[in-house]
Amino acid sequence: MVKKITQKLYIALMFIFLYAPIAVLIVLSFNKSKSRAKWGGFTLQWYKELFANQQIMNALYTTLVLALVSALVATIIGTAASIAMNSMRRSPRTIMMGITNIPMLNADIVTGISLMLIFVAINYTLGFTSVLIAHITFNIPYVILSVMPKLKQTNKSTYEAALDLGASHMYAFRTVILPDIFPGIMSGFLLAFTMSLDDFIITHFTKGPGVNTLSTKIYTEVRKGIKPEMYALSTLLFVSVLTLLILINRTPSEEKINKRLKKKAVQKESNSKFRIFKPAIILIVIAALIVGSFAGMKTTSGKNTLNVYNWGEYIDPEVITMFEKETGIDVVYDEFEMNEEMYSKVETGAVKYDVVCPSDYTIQRMIEADLLAELNYDNIPNIKYIGKDYLQSAEAFDPGNKYAIPYCWGTVGILYNKTMVDEPIDSWSAIFDEKYKNNILMINSVRDAMGIALKYLGYSLNSTDRDELEEATNLLKEQKPLVQSYVVDQVRDKMIGNNAAIGIIYSGEAIYTRRENPDLEYVVPKEGSNIWIDGWVIPKNSENKENAEKFINFLCRPDIALLNFDYITYSTPNTAARDLIEDEDIRNSTIAFPDSATISNCETFKYLGDAMTAYYDDKWREVLSQ
Amino acid sequence: MQCLCMGIAMNKLIDLQNITKAYGDNIVLDDLNLYIKENEFLTLLGPSGCGKTTTLRIIGGFENPDQGNVIFDGKNITKLPPNQRQLNTVFQKYALFTHMTIAENIAFGLKIKKKSKSYIDDKIKYALKLVNLDGYENRKPDSLSGGQQQRIAIARAIVNEPKVLLLDEPLGALDLKLRQDMQYELIRLKNELGITFIYVTHDQEEALTMSDTIVVMNQGYIQQIGTPEDIYNEPTNAFVADFIGESNIIAGTMIQDKLVNILGTNFECVDVGFGKNKPVDVVIRPEDIDLVAPEQGTITGRVTSLIFKGVHYEMEVMANGHEWLVHSTDLSPVGSEVGIHVDPFDIQIMNKPESDDEEAVILDE
Repeated sequence: MVKKITQKLYIALMFIFLYAPIAVLIVLSFNKSKSRAKWGGFTLQWYKELFANQQIMNALYTTLVLALVSALVATIIGTAASIAMNSMRRSPRTIMMGITNIPMLNADIVTGISLMLIFVAINYTLGFTSVLIAHITFNIPYVILSVMPKLKQTNKSTYEAALDLGASHMYAFRTVILPDIFPGIMSGFLLAFTMSLDDFIITHFTKGPGVNTLSTKIYTEVRKGIKPEMYALSTLLFVSVLTLLILINRTPSEEKINKRLKKKAVQKESNSKFRIFKPAIILIVIAALIVGSFAGMKTTSGKNTLNVYNWGEYIDPEVITMFEKETGIDVVYDEFEMNEEMYSKVETGAVKYDVVCPSDYTIQRMIEADLLAELNYDNIPNIKYIGKDYLQSAEAFDPGNKYAIPYCWGTVGILYNKTMVDEPIDSWSAIFDEKYKNNILMINSVRDAMGIALKYLGYSLNSTDRDELEEATNLLKEQKPLVQSYVVDQVRDKMIGNNAAIGIIYSGEAIYTRRENPDLEYVVPKEGSNIWIDGWVIPKNSENKENAEKFINFLCRPDIALLNFDYITYSTPNTAARDLIEDEDIRNSTIAFPDSATISNCETFKYLGDAMTAYYDDKWREVLSQ
Repeated sequence: MQCLCMGIAMNKLIDLQNITKAYGDNIVLDDLNLYIKENEFLTLLGPSGCGKTTTLRIIGGFENPDQGNVIFDGKNITKLPPNQRQLNTVFQKYALFTHMTIAENIAFGLKIKKKSKSYIDDKIKYALKLVNLDGYENRKPDSLSGGQQQRIAIARAIVNEPKVLLLDEPLGALDLKLRQDMQYELIRLKNELGITFIYVTHDQEEALTMSDTIVVMNQGYIQQIGTPEDIYNEPTNAFVADFIGESNIIAGTMIQDKLVNILGTNFECVDVGFGKNKPVDVVIRPEDIDLVAPEQGTITGRVTSLIFKGVHYEMEVMANGHEWLVHSTDLSPVGSEVGIHVDPFDIQIMNKPESDDEEAVILDE
């Protein structure tokens, strides 16, 4: 009896571990509130928006075409390879098997980087076709893996028997070998299809601008929070895969029952099924290849194009459409999630981007590495709409404003819950205060955390003085027992859900959290803080510099800047655009637009060099591992 | 039943000339010469690795010889692929197409030859009747027993009306009773079809039962070619004697014509021309040894073991320091003293190989 209960409990636990995350995802896809922490009522809104979202639909389409075409091609190549290998003598066959297995055992990241390097080396433009080639490459071993055992099982003399009866090699293969190994080929195809659907890393390294699969698309959204549409999409994918699985698993058992009932009929039927199957496969291959080549064509860079490389969710898609319409320039749009990732892509020249939007310290680093082209201000008259304060702040990393035009900016500050603290907070001292023990959400990011400590101690957040850094490190170590958890992303949801009293947050996020939970308040502490600025720059290897300047100029137009502000909700340095904001609360929000005293009290991050960056990392690790 | 009228009226249908085949360093066939006459049931007999299957595969076209020619009906077909040869093969493991019905299996070759549907249907009916499996058209091979599958494999081959049917140990996977039934079945089929059978087996009994001609092979060489009687009664060397049935093979000395010394005792025999005082191998079949009263025997010995084998008793007799294997329907109890007598024509004298390498004697015609 006890045994039975534990058995059931065990199974229940297994199911919970396996499916609870998916269940949460499905529930969230019907949540009216955008926050993960709050149930805002049932809605189908995200599903509607999902199908209306051209970018997601494009990514979905690319993913499916990629998976289908790569799996098909890999299946053909892999099957042919298996047949060749099967007829080899033992020792060369073992060697060949080993060689084809290596890519499977290899870390994805190694495969991804080496593929990217080879594309760069042979000067092959990264785009849809490069991803396709990469996917075919890593799919082939999986096909071989599932076809080989089937081939070994087949009675070798059946093939000879067919030849003996007068069949040509091709005819014997088609009529005798193929039906025998078909289940293996099919499972190889499905495996390859799934691997392709599943892949992120290799796609990430080999894709070109404008090509996004679902996984890379979701990844670029991490910085701004994953949109609920993605929950909806994931739910749909899960449900369709589940249905597919159920269908596949149900068919054979039905056949068995039928077989018992009417043996002959089933046999005839299964044969005719196979006959229909063949032309169907051929049709799919042709269709997929045509579609694939079209998708590939879209990304090849023509004369009048512009390769834009921007953070995920960092522009109103409408703006791109308007720009294309007004100028006749084709925009190829690509997204990144981290400065470092963008930096390496621009540095290797794997893709020649025309206009990129890095953060302050990365702009400085790119200037120092001589990766950027100087801007021609004659082509950017709309610079006049950018506030003087911001241009001045930008000089910290771009002296003379020669390379970058500010695009978005914000501060780092404290978000606190009015109902959970005694008095209004105005100093960093709050996050080091015993009172708020276990109610503090500290930011899990080296420069931000160290910067806060340095600022509280009265030093520069770009300090390279080892004594000052030691002092800051000790302060952070002392703070550790007070901290509820170190977070980046979850701070939004936790604060909205009243899970903590104090959190560190970017100003752009603060506006959104306050809308969800009016008890929250944002403040830039009086000791000063970090002000970050993302700006548009033009890489030196750009092939369309004039178009890039046209694009920057377009973004500086007040009406366009306003559209982007509404979409991104991060502060705009465009003062003319700010004046156009209709909502008075936002226009005068001290969160979005702090007074110039607060701004001048803040510092931008600077690139501190590789050695100092490593030193910062060490210190931060010391704090976390204490 | 057996056709002993060698040569005259029959043509050479297949002629293997100087065939050599090696896999790497391993020489499987070494300068093999063999011809097969029309309408003959020829068996290639030998232990595994003797080259019999390779010979068959060279005839079938599945292997190309390194040297030599395959002449078929006067034409050189050495380089012809299997699908263009006028012969069909029945494989050891049936090699039926499991995803096809029996009818589709049998029709396979005919469909390739673009025969009409009615022709194919007639042929299927005829072939199934011939192998005693009428009404099995729509069954799948998996639902048939091993013997039935093998008969389908034969039916599939013969509907193509080959001039020669190659059979590669077709009964190897069947149990004893079934194997014996199938042996008679094959003889019947061959007589009904009137075509040439080339049969590969390692089972000497099977070879003796069915063949017109037996080719005994070992280590890539032909050891002896002859009728079953020839091979059994007059093996040309110790290998053949040992391989075909059970034998007492004893080292002896040829004293002079018709007199051989075995283990110190002189025996009369019928062989001549070996020279005087020449070391030889002596072959005596166990059933050819008569156990008599001690005083009547050429030599005397003591029975050391006795096994009842159904048709006969198998005994071992220790005499002159050698264990003699004896088959007899008369029982001599263990421990009893017996005399050994062998009729002169039951003693077979063979040249002793001069070295171990020569054990496989090359027989040039």
